[in-house]
Amino acid sequence: MVEDMRTPRLPWPPRFRLPKPSLHMPSLRLPSVKLPRPRLPKPRLPKPPLPEFKGRLHDPRTATVIGRWLGVLIALCFLTGFLSHYVQRPPDWLAGVLPSRPVWGYRLTQGIHVASGIAAIPLLFAKLWTVYPRLFVWPPVSSVRHALERLSIAVLVAATVFQLLTGLLNIIQWYPWPFSFVPVHFAVAWVVFGSLVLHIAVKYPEIKAHWSRQSPGTLELLAADGPDRRSLLMGVSAAVGAVTVTTVGQTVTPLKSLILFAPRDPDYGEQGLPVNRSAAQAGMVGRDLSGYRLTVLGRDSYELTLDELAAMAQHTVRLPIACVEGWSKYATWSGVRMRDLVARAGGRPDSLVRVVSMERRGAYRVMEMGGGYTEDPLTLLALRLNGQVLSLDHGFPARVIAPNRPGVWQTKWVARMEII
Amino acid sequence: MVRYAVGAFGVLLIAIGGRLLWTGGELSEVAVWLAGAIVLHDGLIAPFVLTVGLLVASVPARGLVRGALIVAAALTAIALPPMLAPVRRNPSVLPLDYPRNWLLAMAAIAVVTALVLTARALRGRRPRRPSWLRTPRLRRGQ
Repeated sequence: MVEDMRTPRLPWPPRFRLPKPSLHMPSLRLPSVKLPRPRLPKPRLPKPPLPEFKGRLHDPRTATVIGRWLGVLIALCFLTGFLSHYVQRPPDWLAGVLPSRPVWGYRLTQGIHVASGIAAIPLLFAKLWTVYPRLFVWPPVSSVRHALERLSIAVLVAATVFQLLTGLLNIIQWYPWPFSFVPVHFAVAWVVFGSLVLHIAVKYPEIKAHWSRQSPGTLELLAADGPDRRSLLMGVSAAVGAVTVTTVGQTVTPLKSLILFAPRDPDYGEQGLPVNRSAAQAGMVGRDLSGYRLTVLGRDSYELTLDELAAMAQHTVRLPIACVEGWSKYATWSGVRMRDLVARAGGRPDSLVRVVSMERRGAYRVMEMGGGYTEDPLTLLALRLNGQVLSLDHGFPARVIAPNRPGVWQTKWVARMEII
Repeated sequence: MVRYAVGAFGVLLIAIGGRLLWTGGELSEVAVWLAGAIVLHDGLIAPFVLTVGLLVASVPARGLVRGALIVAAALTAIALPPMLAPVRRNPSVLPLDYPRNWLLAMAAIAVVTALVLTARALRGRRPRRPSWLRTPRLRRGQ
């Protein structure tokens, strides 16, 4: 021991640090360390009885390690959500150039969106636990700058908890709030990401001082906390792994036997495929479809019965249905190519097509498809799913299936197509 | 300087979100839920977790028990909405038996924790860092 202390400090200090006393003590409880209190000018307000925190690990190193993983996940979640928003509601200049490949593009990005959001939940709790004592600093506001910083933290915390909670409930289609989910989730996403960027800028010196185990700020912390911190981080990592493994099988189908808490089972649903909006929800049950006609409006408008549709050249494709709610599954679809239907009406193969569903209400009743999808040979007006005639829940008599598109735009119960 | 630019960029993004909320016309409802998020976390969840932490602080093998509780809490957090959600009209949403799965997961965590504790006791050692996490020791005089 004594020799150790006399050893001159070398530029690579970890090898020469003192043995950590806590490892050899009978109890793992650490003695509380009294830090010298700086003398402050006499406070104007008497200090109320605020809670005191003697527990360990409420320190900047723990916050930095958890925070950087949380930051990566929030950034991934924001970018994939942003992408989905513009794929679902593209501005005019974008609608015509959205690519139909890779066929699994939307499946991958929205799988990541939901998985990163779920994985962020344990990290967010851990991060907030680490910094929770700072909620009770006294005086509550010491300068304008301090007030602004605290305000930005309040915005960050409120928006992030709100965002993960609303997302978690949206994937089970539970909407207990009085506002509409999609525009609010999109708006708050900007607030979350913006306040995260601001937070990183504000905290940059502290993040830098605690970035690695050998950073100067980390070395100033009690060395005995190191093993305890790693033990905490292992627990948090295990929690991230656990929530991921028990849900991600709803889109990573090889892991589907592990889904304990996923809102969807890829195998559960009519004809082996989950249904996002059932025929009952769309008001399609009990409708008389015997006189069904598909109307195609264009230069040479025409109508087709279901038999006439089935008599056209049929193609079979394997495409995934991928939902923004984070589930997806491949299926085998058969039907008529969209571009054949367009050509028959005298339209160009890369025409913009508006597709109208028979459902009477719903935000996704009218769909517009850019030229990139229309001309893709994989885009079908499907009549059959996995070898059987489409069930009513899957869009009988005819539905759209296109590669690399959000599930909500795979319009079911198609009544009319307008070539624009 | 770069720091200020990044910070200003963050403020700009917040402003975009704020403007979207403002023009969305549902600002007051959203504000209630945003404030509720803080109250829910800072007023209920955090004090509860800290209280549990205080109780766990003195148990032997605290690190392991803490890890088990963190995993259990995280799984409970994602299992609660499916367990509490109102009955669906669409049978392919929430098709699993979530209460059963939650009990299974909690039992699995308890069993794994007990097994690790037993293994440690049999080896007659106090919990320590596994060898792959330890810093290699430099011999004196080399």
